[in-house]
Amino acid sequence: MNRRKLVGLCTVAVTVLLGLLISSQTMLISAQNTQNSGVDREEPPPRPYNPYPPGILPADLNSEIARVRREVRFIFNQALGEMRALPPLTVTGQPPTLQGTGYQAVQTLGKLLNFDENMSPFQNRACAFCHMPYAGFSGPIPSVNLTMIAYPGSFQFRAGKRTAQRYTYSPRYPVLELYPDQNLLFGGNFWDGRSTGYLLQSADAEQAQHPPVDTQEHALPDTACIAFRLESAVYKSFFEKIWGDILDIRFPGNTEDICETPGGAKVFGTDVTPIKLSPEDRAKANSVYDHWGQSISFFEDSPQVSPFTSKVDANINGLYTYTPDELAGAILFAGKGNCNSCHIDGQRTLLKPGQTDTGTYATNARPLFTCFGYSNLGLPLNPRDAFFYQTTPDFFGFTANPLGFGYRDLGLGTFLRSGFGSAPNPNETWTELAPRMDGRQQVSTVRNVAMTPPQCPTTEAPGPYFQKEFFHNGYIKSLKQLVHFYNTRDKFPFPVTSGHCPPGKTEKVDCWPMPEVPNNIDMTVGNLGLTDQEENQLVIIMQALNDGFNPSNPSVSTYPDINTFTGKCMTGGTAATQGNNTLIPTPPLPPCASAVCGVAPLPTKPIP
Amino acid sequence: MKKLLLTVLIMVVFMGNLLAQVSPATPKAARVQITQGPELELAKEYLTIIRWTTNNPGGLPDHFGIVRYGTDPNNLSQTAKSPIRLNPSHPSTIFRVRIQGLKAATTYYYTVESQEANGTSDGVTSPVNKFTIP
Repeated sequence: MNRRKLVGLCTVAVTVLLGLLISSQTMLISAQNTQNSGVDREEPPPRPYNPYPPGILPADLNSEIARVRREVRFIFNQALGEMRALPPLTVTGQPPTLQGTGYQAVQTLGKLLNFDENMSPFQNRACAFCHMPYAGFSGPIPSVNLTMIAYPGSFQFRAGKRTAQRYTYSPRYPVLELYPDQNLLFGGNFWDGRSTGYLLQSADAEQAQHPPVDTQEHALPDTACIAFRLESAVYKSFFEKIWGDILDIRFPGNTEDICETPGGAKVFGTDVTPIKLSPEDRAKANSVYDHWGQSISFFEDSPQVSPFTSKVDANINGLYTYTPDELAGAILFAGKGNCNSCHIDGQRTLLKPGQTDTGTYATNARPLFTCFGYSNLGLPLNPRDAFFYQTTPDFFGFTANPLGFGYRDLGLGTFLRSGFGSAPNPNETWTELAPRMDGRQQVSTVRNVAMTPPQCPTTEAPGPYFQKEFFHNGYIKSLKQLVHFYNTRDKFPFPVTSGHCPPGKTEKVDCWPMPEVPNNIDMTVGNLGLTDQEENQLVIIMQALNDGFNPSNPSVSTYPDINTFTGKCMTGGTAATQGNNTLIPTPPLPPCASAVCGVAPLPTKPIP
Repeated sequence: MKKLLLTVLIMVVFMGNLLAQVSPATPKAARVQITQGPELELAKEYLTIIRWTTNNPGGLPDHFGIVRYGTDPNNLSQTAKSPIRLNPSHPSTIFRVRIQGLKAATTYYYTVESQEANGTSDGVTSPVNKFTIP
C-alpha cells in the first residue's frame, strides 16, 4: 500500500467516523428534544381531528394553545427551581417521615407533576393546560370559554364535554358518601361526582387520576405510561426520594410506541393495560399512579392553590370591613338570594342592614361556600359544546360521541348508572338513586369563581375583562348572567332551545330556553325577585371571594403565579349580554339516545 | 377537669360537623303552617309553577314540594314534585313546584304539601284550589 493510498483510506475512515459521530450526536439531540419538548418527533404528527362545522373552534385556537403551553412550561421550570432550592430530604423516624421538608417536598412534586407536559401522548398537555392559576385554576383560553367550552386534548382537536372545574378547595370535598337519612349523595369530585375517592380515600387525589387516561384529555392509553414518563423525568430522583424506589419497572420495548398513541385508538381494542408488565411491575406502576394523584392533590390543597386569603376571609378574621355594596351582597347571599342554602357561607345570623354577624361559625371554620351536594339548575343545552360534533372516527379510529345531539348530560344520574361518557360506579347500592339524581351536577364552591389575571381585573364586560365560562356546560358567560339566571329562570321561560328566542326577546336577559334535563330541577331558585342593583351586589360579594387579597396592599394580588397570563383582555359590550354574539341556533334535537336515557333504572319522567 | 374534657369533646364534635360543610338537619318545627298561597306563579301549557310559603319546617335540608292535581276535584290523580333546599337561618320557606305539559283552556284542581327528602311529611296539606291554563 503506498502512502497516497494510505492517506486516502485514512481520510475515508475519518470521514465515516466523523459522520457517524455527528449522526449519533444528532440522534441524541433529537431524542432529547423529543423528550423535553415533544416538538421534534421522528414522524410527523397525524392530521388534526376536525369534525366541527365552521365557527365551533375559535379562530385563534392554535396560537392560544401555544400561548398556554408556553405559560405552563414557564411555571414548570419555576417548580424545578423550587425543587432545587429545597434543603436535602432526610427520612427519619418510624414510620419514616421526611422530617422538616415533607410538606414542601410533596407539594412541590405535585406542582411539577401538574405542570409537566410529558404526561400525554404527544407531550403537549399538562394538567395545568386546562387549569391555570390566573383563572382560579380553571380554563385559561378566553376564546375557548366563549365557544367550544371543553378544552382540546393531547390529540388535537378531541375535546371533552364540560367546562374545566377549578382546583381551588377541591381537596376539601369528602369522599362521595350517601347520607341514608337524606337519601342524597355528598362529596366526590367532578361535575358528575365520578371521582368518588373510595380507593385512595381522597376524591381529589382520584380526580387527578382521571384526565391522564381520559381519551379526550391527556389521552394516555395506560396508567403505567405515567410511571414510564417519570422514569425519564428530570425530577425522577426527587419523586423516588419521596415515594421510594418504585420507578425501577421493566418496561417492554414497545412502551414508548404505546404511550405515544392516544387512548381509544382502535389498535388497543378494549385493552386498558396495553403495556404488558409482570404482576410485580404492574403493582409498582399502580403505586406510582396513586402517588401521582396524592402529590397533585396535596399541591392543590396547599396555600399555592387554596390559601383562604379572600376579602371574605379577611372580613371573617376582622382584618377588613366590607364596602356598602359588599355588605349588601353578603346579606343578599344569605337572605333574599338564598345562595347559602347550597353555597354554605358559615353565617349563623341572618344579617340586616346595619347588623354585624354575631355567630361563631365563620370565625372558627373556613366556610367553603358549597354543601358538597348536587343540583339540577335547569341549564339549557349548549349547542356550542364541542362534544356534540365528535361523531366520526378520528385518525386513530376513535369516536368520542357517536350519539351526537342525542346525548344529554344527566350528570350524577349517568355516573350512578355507570353510563355513557362517565365512569364505573363503584357502589352498586347507589344505582337505584339515579332517577332522583338525573341532571344534577356538583355544587361548586363560589371561592375564586371571579378570579382573573390582574391585567384583566374582572370577568364582566365591558372590562377590560377575562372571558370565563360558568356552570358545567359553559352556557353562562358572566357572573351578572349567572345571578340573573338564578333570579329569573322561571320568570322568563320559553319552550325553545338556545338560539331560538322569540323576536323581541333577548336570550339570557328576558328569555331562558328550556332546560336540557327537565327532571329534578332545583326550585330553591328561579324567581328570587332581585332588583338589577341587587344582582350586581351579589356579583360584588362573589368577587370578594377571590384569593390573594392583602389588607395592607389591596391593589396587588398575592395569589401565587397569578401574573403568568400573557394573552389579551377583552373589552366592550355589557355583562348582561356578554357572549351573545357567539350564540348559535341549536339544531333540531333528536330524542335522548337510549344509551343515555334508556339505561335502567329509567328516569322518573322521559327526558326529551 | 372532666368538664373541660367534655367541653373540648363537644367542641371537637361540633367543629367536625361544621367543617364537614354538609347542611345538618335542623330541629323539626312543632307545627308547619302555610302562611301564603298556594298560588300560581306561572301558568303556561309548557310550564306551570305553583308556589306557597310555610314557616320553616326544619328537619332534613332537602325537601320536596308536592302538588297533587287533576281535572276532577275528587280525583287528584297526578303528582308533581320539585326539590328545594331549606335555609336554616330563614324563618320561612318558599316551596315551588313545576308542572309540565298541561292542556290549554283546561281547569285543574290541586292541593299542595311538603315532605323531607326521606319521605317524612311536614304534616300540612292545603285545601283544594283550582287554576285554568289560558
